[in-house]
Amino acid sequence: MRGISKLLGGALLAATMSSGALAAGYPDKPITLICPYSAGGGGDTASRVIAKLAGDIMGVNINVENKTGGGATIGISAVANAEPDGYTIGFISTSPITIRPHMMEAPYNPVEDLTYIGQFVASNQPMIVRADSPYKSLADLIAFAKENPGKLRWSTSVQRGGPHVAVEAMFKAENVDATFVPFKGGSKALAALLGGTIEMAMISEGNKSTLDGQTRILAEGTPDENPVAPDAPTLTEAGYPIAPAIFFGLAAPKGVPDEVTAKWDEVLPKVIASPEFQKIAEAQQWTVHFADHMAFTKTVETDYAAAKKAIADIGMK
Amino acid sequence: MGDTFSLVADGVSLALTWQSLLAIIVGVAAGQILGAIPGLTASMAVALLIPYSFYFDPWVGIPMLLGMFKGSLFGSSTTAILIRTPGTPAASATVLDGYPLAQQGKGMKAIKMALYASVFGDTFSDICLIFFASLLAMVALKFGPAEYTILIVLALCSLGMLSSRPAWKGLVATLAGVIIGMIGLDPMAATPRLTFGNPELEEGIGLIPMLIGFLAVSEVFRQMSGKAEDLSGRAIRYSDDPADNRVSLTEFIQCLPTLIRSSAIGTVIGAMPGLGSTVAAFIAYGEARRASKTPEKFGKGALEGVAAPESANNAVSGANLIPLLAFGIPGDIAAALILSALMVQGVTVGPLAFSQNPLPLYAIYAALIMANFVNLFLGFGLAKVASVAFSVPRRLLLASVLVIAAAGSYALRGSVFDVQLVFLFGVFGYVMMRFGFPPVPLLIGFILMPLLEENLRTVLLLASTYDEHLLFVFKRPAFLSLLAIMGVALLLVFWRRRRRALAARADA
Repeated sequence: MRGISKLLGGALLAATMSSGALAAGYPDKPITLICPYSAGGGGDTASRVIAKLAGDIMGVNINVENKTGGGATIGISAVANAEPDGYTIGFISTSPITIRPHMMEAPYNPVEDLTYIGQFVASNQPMIVRADSPYKSLADLIAFAKENPGKLRWSTSVQRGGPHVAVEAMFKAENVDATFVPFKGGSKALAALLGGTIEMAMISEGNKSTLDGQTRILAEGTPDENPVAPDAPTLTEAGYPIAPAIFFGLAAPKGVPDEVTAKWDEVLPKVIASPEFQKIAEAQQWTVHFADHMAFTKTVETDYAAAKKAIADIGMK
Repeated sequence: MGDTFSLVADGVSLALTWQSLLAIIVGVAAGQILGAIPGLTASMAVALLIPYSFYFDPWVGIPMLLGMFKGSLFGSSTTAILIRTPGTPAASATVLDGYPLAQQGKGMKAIKMALYASVFGDTFSDICLIFFASLLAMVALKFGPAEYTILIVLALCSLGMLSSRPAWKGLVATLAGVIIGMIGLDPMAATPRLTFGNPELEEGIGLIPMLIGFLAVSEVFRQMSGKAEDLSGRAIRYSDDPADNRVSLTEFIQCLPTLIRSSAIGTVIGAMPGLGSTVAAFIAYGEARRASKTPEKFGKGALEGVAAPESANNAVSGANLIPLLAFGIPGDIAAALILSALMVQGVTVGPLAFSQNPLPLYAIYAALIMANFVNLFLGFGLAKVASVAFSVPRRLLLASVLVIAAAGSYALRGSVFDVQLVFLFGVFGYVMMRFGFPPVPLLIGFILMPLLEENLRTVLLLASTYDEHLLFVFKRPAFLSLLAIMGVALLLVFWRRRRRALAARADA
């Protein structure tokens, strides 16, 4: 009996100590980072790099746990339903946050169920054609599509992702009819473009293929200027409805303490500035782009609303 | 000419250091072990290492990675042969003849054949990569959905001959495979299909849980239903006859045409982004059976039935680097990981690399060839270890296979649902076996049919954008050449049959 009460007392003491420690200094124990994508992909690499570098800075282990399925919604809903103590966070990217919930039922509400910790990558989405293509500008491409309804074949890396919605919104605004040909992944879309199966693609791989002299960039599908083609207009600059940010970021359940977001606002810029992160970002062809808790939340909310309107206008379901 | 030679020598010397040899040995050994454990893949291990790759010297990190991928393909075939558990999906065709061989006490013979075939396939495709990369890549780029469709049809034709009697059972099994393969997102519309609103099913039934359950767990159930006294015997018997534990030179020479044909199939498929090593293994298996003089032996322990898929799946892994080095397009996840590892080290690949900075390419080539030799030598060691490890009493082995199956399928993506799937498919496979339904048509339906659907529907979608509609395929040179090859192959089959029939009549 005495043993049990002693044990209970010890547990109680430990519990009060740990909650005290939370107020004093987050983090004081290992953090779990849920990655909703499988091992080997870009999202997984990003999660592991952030976990390693941020863990080194904060002095705790950050363990990456892959929870895949349902187009990333399973992993993200695990984050949304976790204890909001800052010890379970998740890797997020654009599609399951700002795009997909408008087309399919998602097991979470991106605005109400998640706290956005910060963004660390913005990937460019150049609209590319083959280097020997007759289309020299976005206007050439639109002109062809107008004269030849349904004859322009194009693709993106993910069906019903941000770039797909953005380009469909552009065609809708121009009132043209083009044919979207789905491929599984940007490298397959690039192979199809170079092989002549399709005529245009909006894929992140387009920057490297343009530097290699295989393709030409006509426009940029995200709000950021494309470093390879600074003169190419973004879709919104060209007067079209949306150019959603394609981001990699971190999220936590709604209602995490302010210390948690404050800590990450301090740590994430250090991670991103480190030579290790810079080098891996270059290898992965990521554009490093930091947005803190406030700025990232705003990006998500703006894009979420814009995508909602665009998707309703196009009638994509 | 002298310049080129010194360039090659400089490049090769980058990779010919004791550090990189050591790295290759470590990589191949790790790959073989990981490959043998279902659910753990070389890609996973490489993904875990990427955050640390920054700290490696380039010519330690890259050779290690290449070795790891090569080792894992052979490693996965040892468990496929001995316990009917393919460590990776690419080894599932190896089960078909490898496991019967092991049951006959010829497990070591099968494993050694798999090892020789793996190294042969690797070397074949590496040589193609070194000498014909840009040419092969140019050809592969001309292959679009129309050509993929006809290739898969070709594969289905040659595999269709694998169907057993009675024919209706084969048909039912194929359809079951097709239905299981249809679960998930529709390939064209990306809307959920047969998921019953369950998000776990949205990405389809995973290849690994399905294969482990259907092949390995069902076999455990079958053996468990046997007599109790059988269970205390040795799980896998090895024949005392030394001829059953090695591959003789005569046997190797008999398999040589199969090895060359399968390696060529693997190289061509590997050069095209989109089909992959599992498909190549099945196509090579079907072709080996079609070309064989004794096709009835396939499925009952034909050595060519091990040689074909093993050389083809390894050839794919080398050939995946062809589009990567020529165009910067990674053909599969392994190639994508190699690309990012190369770029972390400041090595760029793509069309400009050949002319601007070919040094690292020569170093990669040297590392690839070295890794093949290391794979061969370490492979004997793994074969020895595996033969001892699986010599435990049957009751212990059966229980361990169930544990490995559950743990492996969980490890893959941290999903309890996948563990449930493994056992569900185990029961399903057992029931099918009891009622005499053949497993191969189900695998073909599950693996090839979704690819056929995706490519055929893409062709139909593309047809709507051409004036000549579906006839646009006849304007594609690649399509016409494939059609011609298919015609010649069919003619050969008829000619051979006719000659055989005439010979039979002459005898009578």
